[in-house]
Amino acid sequence: MTAPLYIALRFATHRKRALLLSLVGVVFGVAIFICTQAQTQGFAQYFINSTIGSSGAMVLRTKFQPRYEGLAVAAKNTTGATNRRNYFEGVSNVSEIMRVSRQFSNVVACAPVLRGNVSARAGFENASVEIYGIDPASQLKATDLATQIIAGKFDDFSNNTSAVIIGYKLADFLNVGAGDAIQILSPGGEYWRFTVAAIARSGVGTVDLNRVYAHARVAQRLLKKPYQASMIIYKLRNPSRAPELANHFEELFQHRTESWQEREEGNLQIFFTLQVSAAITVSLIILLAGFGIFNVLTMSVLSKVREIAILRSMGYRRIDISSIFLWQGALIAGVGSLLGCILGAVLTWGISKVPIHIRGLLYTNHFLVVWDWRHYFWATLLAVVAVFIASYVPSQRAAHLQPVDTLRGSSL
Amino acid sequence: MNGEVSLSCRDLERYLGKEEERVHALRGVSLDIEAGSLHAVVGPSGCGKSTLLYILGLLDQPDAGSIIIASENVSDLPDQEWSRRRNELIGFIFQFHFLMEDFTAEENVMMPMRRLGHLSESEMRDRAAALLHDVDLGDKLRRESRHLSGGEQQRVAIARALANDPQVILADEPTGNLDTRNSERAFALLADLVRQRGKALLLVTHNRFIADACDWVHEMQDGRIIGSHPRGQRGSITTNV
Repeated sequence: MTAPLYIALRFATHRKRALLLSLVGVVFGVAIFICTQAQTQGFAQYFINSTIGSSGAMVLRTKFQPRYEGLAVAAKNTTGATNRRNYFEGVSNVSEIMRVSRQFSNVVACAPVLRGNVSARAGFENASVEIYGIDPASQLKATDLATQIIAGKFDDFSNNTSAVIIGYKLADFLNVGAGDAIQILSPGGEYWRFTVAAIARSGVGTVDLNRVYAHARVAQRLLKKPYQASMIIYKLRNPSRAPELANHFEELFQHRTESWQEREEGNLQIFFTLQVSAAITVSLIILLAGFGIFNVLTMSVLSKVREIAILRSMGYRRIDISSIFLWQGALIAGVGSLLGCILGAVLTWGISKVPIHIRGLLYTNHFLVVWDWRHYFWATLLAVVAVFIASYVPSQRAAHLQPVDTLRGSSL
Repeated sequence: MNGEVSLSCRDLERYLGKEEERVHALRGVSLDIEAGSLHAVVGPSGCGKSTLLYILGLLDQPDAGSIIIASENVSDLPDQEWSRRRNELIGFIFQFHFLMEDFTAEENVMMPMRRLGHLSESEMRDRAAALLHDVDLGDKLRRESRHLSGGEQQRVAIARALANDPQVILADEPTGNLDTRNSERAFALLADLVRQRGKALLLVTHNRFIADACDWVHEMQDGRIIGSHPRGQRGSITTNV
């Protein structure tokens, strides 16, 4: 053990109350940082998992062709090529696009979907719904639909072309359950009768309220569409890289392709804002703890002026003196961060057990948290930086005290 | 004076304070301190005794002049080198003991050794115990310094000054805060240790009896050494100015 570390430990342990106060600030700062990040990111992560699980990490839709505009000059600040396109409804060469898509290492699975807006009726209730014409086998591979079933059976849907799966909110609204019948109004004005084979809960409010899954061929006839699919849903190995792949596919297949990040941009911004807001609030707590440590160490320097002069007279260098106070800061940061991480984990676990009834944007019965090592890393880093800054100034003040001033003041 | 010179200074000048309060504290002071000898600096308060001591102890920078310790001119060395030489070559004893209050007698004596870093923990403990034994505090090794009497604290300070076996010991009124009995005891102890171990001692004192017991007495006035006398010849002034 170096001499400054030895002296720092002794100084710190002889001022237990001051040490405890400094530690409490860091412990609570770190713990609350971890806890709030776990919560805000927990809700965000749940939403992301739900939206990817029900609507895919990436969606390819709408064929386009570049529009050639002879002498036209693009206006300033426009994206150029994107604005000069002709769009055509539906996906052409579905099988070929899916075959090529599967060659990409990031693509786990893909499923064609024929989408359209219709009206559904059960009893006296009517609702505008979004019909998803799917191939059951492909859809199971590309989404979490099977795990989202909360009533009925997916097989009952697969084996019956006149069966549908509906969102649980829609089922509540239409007052139907598994095995009941609903009617869907085709664009031609005819009501088609379907059996509700299963009810699904994706966790995303809009999906659970609007979506009806039907067999692709039935949906094509119902919607009177000339094409097999209006979009292809992708499940990706690494969803965070969806934007890059979407850009590539857009170029490759000449179809508008959208990543989940682009699709959910608005909601993600809300979650991000909440997360940053929480981080700023908690950082202020750590900053306040830093001020506390600054005060404690400054007082420590003032109360140890005599000891500093003695140490200097014994040959301790300026750097040794500053190290004594920096080590005290490091001790507070190290122990405070460790205890803060433990407390943060306990609080996060405790909060995950708190019951909460959310049925809007998300579906959950308890607080959602995410366990991420990065929260612990950032909280610790923030605490270490705050404590270092708080310790640096007093340590430099201690190092530059003139021992002769203290000695002269006591001996003349 | 004859024998090996451990510490010497030449033409030291020092001003203290600023502007109107500026004082010419040292005016061309020169001294030679030999190994195994005891030197006392006497003079009225404010004559520059302590200033001289701190400059010789490398705690304060002279405005002019040179300091030579162990045959090396250290006047222009950086602060870090001064710290190293203070640690290795100089032992300080102050009037108010200046022990680290929260530490035991043994830990106080070990403090200079920790900075030096030449000994293991157990070797440092053994050496501290031996030094404290030499100053009759062998039974109070683990006692916190604040719980020692004034005389005991000064003896701990003497042991601490010898911790790194320095060549020079500088003492600023080492008995100034002690009663007569403890003063005599502390000085006798210090004098014995210095002579036995061949150290050079320079002490600042107001105590005539202690000054008379030293090998040399240097009289200071207004920042100058106005006379230096060997023991028993106080009155036959050897001018060093």
